[in-house]
Amino acid sequence: MTASSKYLSGAHEAHDAHHEEDPKQYLMYDPKPRGEMNAMVMESMHTTSWKFWVVLGVLSFLVVTCFFFAWGYMIDEGLYVGGVMRPAYWGVFLVNTVFWIGISHAGTFISAILRVFKAEFRRPFTRAAELMTTFGLIQAGASIFMHMGRVWLSYWMFPIPNARQLWPNFHSPLMWDLLAISTYVLGSTMYLFLPLIPDLAMARDRSTGWRKTFYKILALGFRGTEGEWRHLTVAMNFFAFAIIPVMFSVHTIVSWDFAMAMRPGWSSSVFGPYFVLGALHSGMGAVAMVLFVMRATMKHMDYFIRKEHFDALGKLMLMVTFAYTYFFFNDYIVQWYGGDKATDNLLHWLEEGPMAWMFLQFVFFNIVIPPLLLWSKKVRETPWLLALIGLMINVGMYWERYLIIPVMLTINRMPFTWKLFQPRLEIFLTIGTFSMFLLFYMIVSRLIPLIPVWEVQEGQMTHSLRKVGKAKLPTISEFE
Amino acid sequence: MSEATLLAIFEDLDPAANAIDTLHEMGVGDENINVISGVPVAHKILGRPHPWTNVSKLSMGGAVAGFAFGIFLNFGTPHLYGIQVGGQYVTPIPPGAIVTFEMTMLFALLATFLGVFLDSYFPNYRPLEYVDEVSDGKIAVFFRVAEDDAKKFTDAMNTLGAESVKPAEARQL
Repeated sequence: MTASSKYLSGAHEAHDAHHEEDPKQYLMYDPKPRGEMNAMVMESMHTTSWKFWVVLGVLSFLVVTCFFFAWGYMIDEGLYVGGVMRPAYWGVFLVNTVFWIGISHAGTFISAILRVFKAEFRRPFTRAAELMTTFGLIQAGASIFMHMGRVWLSYWMFPIPNARQLWPNFHSPLMWDLLAISTYVLGSTMYLFLPLIPDLAMARDRSTGWRKTFYKILALGFRGTEGEWRHLTVAMNFFAFAIIPVMFSVHTIVSWDFAMAMRPGWSSSVFGPYFVLGALHSGMGAVAMVLFVMRATMKHMDYFIRKEHFDALGKLMLMVTFAYTYFFFNDYIVQWYGGDKATDNLLHWLEEGPMAWMFLQFVFFNIVIPPLLLWSKKVRETPWLLALIGLMINVGMYWERYLIIPVMLTINRMPFTWKLFQPRLEIFLTIGTFSMFLLFYMIVSRLIPLIPVWEVQEGQMTHSLRKVGKAKLPTISEFE
Repeated sequence: MSEATLLAIFEDLDPAANAIDTLHEMGVGDENINVISGVPVAHKILGRPHPWTNVSKLSMGGAVAGFAFGIFLNFGTPHLYGIQVGGQYVTPIPPGAIVTFEMTMLFALLATFLGVFLDSYFPNYRPLEYVDEVSDGKIAVFFRVAEDDAKKFTDAMNTLGAESVKPAEARQL
C-alpha cells in the first residue's frame, strides 16, 4: 500500500513537472529583441580563436596536398595511380560522388519539405543544412571530374554544336546524371541565396571596411519593402515545392547509373527509393554533426540551436532509419531469394568474405544502432550523442556505397577476374574532398550569417502563449 | 506645389498599422505610402493593398520554355548528329521524359530566381531611402505629402507613437 501510494505520488509529481514545463526552453517562445539577435549573430561571425586558425591551416594544407597536388599528379600520371583497374573501373571517386550527393540531400529535405509543411523547428538551422547541400555538391562534382580522368574534355558532355560530329547520347544514365546534378547544383545554390539576402542586408547595416563592401554587393540593395518581401516569399515558396522533385530525381538517377546494368547486386527496381532514403539517412546524420559542431564552437549558438532542435532532428532520423531499413531489406531479400548464382556468390562474399567486416559494420551502424538509441528522448536531446549517431550513420553509409561500387564490380559473373579492390591515390583525394568541404564550411561560417535571423524573428512573432483557464498554452498565428 | 517624403519609424506593427489608417484618413493614397520592415509582413496586417508580383508568372514561363528545350534536346538534336545503336530507337520516349523533366525544372527555377531580380530591380546600388533600424525590427513608414502639410503629418505620426518622424533622405546603403 505504501509502495503503491509512493508510486502514485511520484507519478503525480511527474505530472505536475510536465505541466510546469518552461515554454522559454523553446526558441520560438523565448524571443529577444531583433537588434540583440543581430548583434549575437554578427559576433558569432567575428569571433575566432587561435584554434580556429590552426584547424583552418591544417585543412588548407590538406586541400593543397591531398586535393590539388594529388589530382595534378593523377592527371600527369594517369588514372591507374588512383587505384582503379580491371575489373573495377568505377572506384572510390564514384563512392565519393554518391556519398556527397547523399549528404547534399539533407539540406533540401530539411529546408524545403519542412518549409512546405511549416515545421517551425526548422527555422534556425535551415541555412546550415542548405550550405551542406551546396558544398556537398561541389565535392560530388569534383569527384566526378576526378573519375573522368581527362577533365579538360568534359565539355564533350554538353550539348553544344561541334566539329567532332559527336552529340551527347541522351539515352545514357550518365547524361541524365549531368543534367540532374547541374539542375540540383544551380537550384540549391539559388535556394540558398534567396533567403540569405535579408540577412546579408542586416550584416551590411552593421559592418565596416571590406565586410561592408562584401555584404553591400551581395545584398543587392535589399531594403525590405513590401514588394521585395512579396517577390522573395513567392519565389522561396516556389523553390520549396519545385526543388523537392528535383532532389528525388537526382539520387534516383544516380541509382540508375547502377540499376540499369544487368549486374549482380545492381539490377534492382527499388534502387531509386533505396538510394534516396540512403541519401536522407546520411544527410540527416551530417546535419546532426554540423549542428553539434556549430553549437559547440560558435558564440551564442546555444541560444539558437537548442535541445528541441536535436530532439526533432533525432525523430526525423528515426523515421528515415525505418524507411531506409525497409528498402534495404526489400532489395536484399529479393536478391537473396532470386536464386541467381552470381548474386548468390556476391551475397555470400559480402557476408563471409574479406569485406564482411564492412558489410556488418554498415548493417550495425545504419540499421541496428539508430533505432535502438533514437527512441529515447534523452539520447535525442544530447547533442554529442546525436552527433555520434550521425557519424556512425555516415561511416556506415560510406561503406554501403563502397560495397555497391568497387566491391560489387569485383565480384562479378567472371570469377577468374575477382580481385580485392585496393584504392591507392584515391584515399588521398578522398581526404582532400573531406578537407575542402570542412574548409569551405569554416570560411563561410565567418562570412555569412549561419542563422537565418529574419526567419527566427518571423517565427517568434507568430508564436505566443495564450491563457486558457489556469494554463498558458503555446499558440501559433498565421501571418501569411 | 512641392512634395516632401517623410519617414516615420515605429517600434511595432500595431502603431504602424494605426499610422497607415490615419494617413488614409488624412487623404494620403496607398500609392504614396511604402512600408519597410525586417521581416515579411502580410498586407492585411497593415491594411495595405496586395503587392503585385510577376514571379509566379515568370516561373511558369520558365517551365514552359524548359519543357520546349527538353523536347528539342530529346527529339530534335538526335537527328542533327544521329547515333545509331543497334536495335534502339533514335528518339525513345522514356529517357526523353527524364531529360525533359530536368530541363523543365531547371528553367523554372532559373526564371523564378531571375524574376526576383527583375521585379525587385536587383541589383540596385544607387542611393535609396532607408534606415538601419529596420533590420533591428523597427517598422519604417515612408509617405509623400505636400511640403506645406509636413508639420501636420509629423504631429499626427508622433501622436500615434512614432519613435521619430523626419524627412526621408536617399543614401548609399
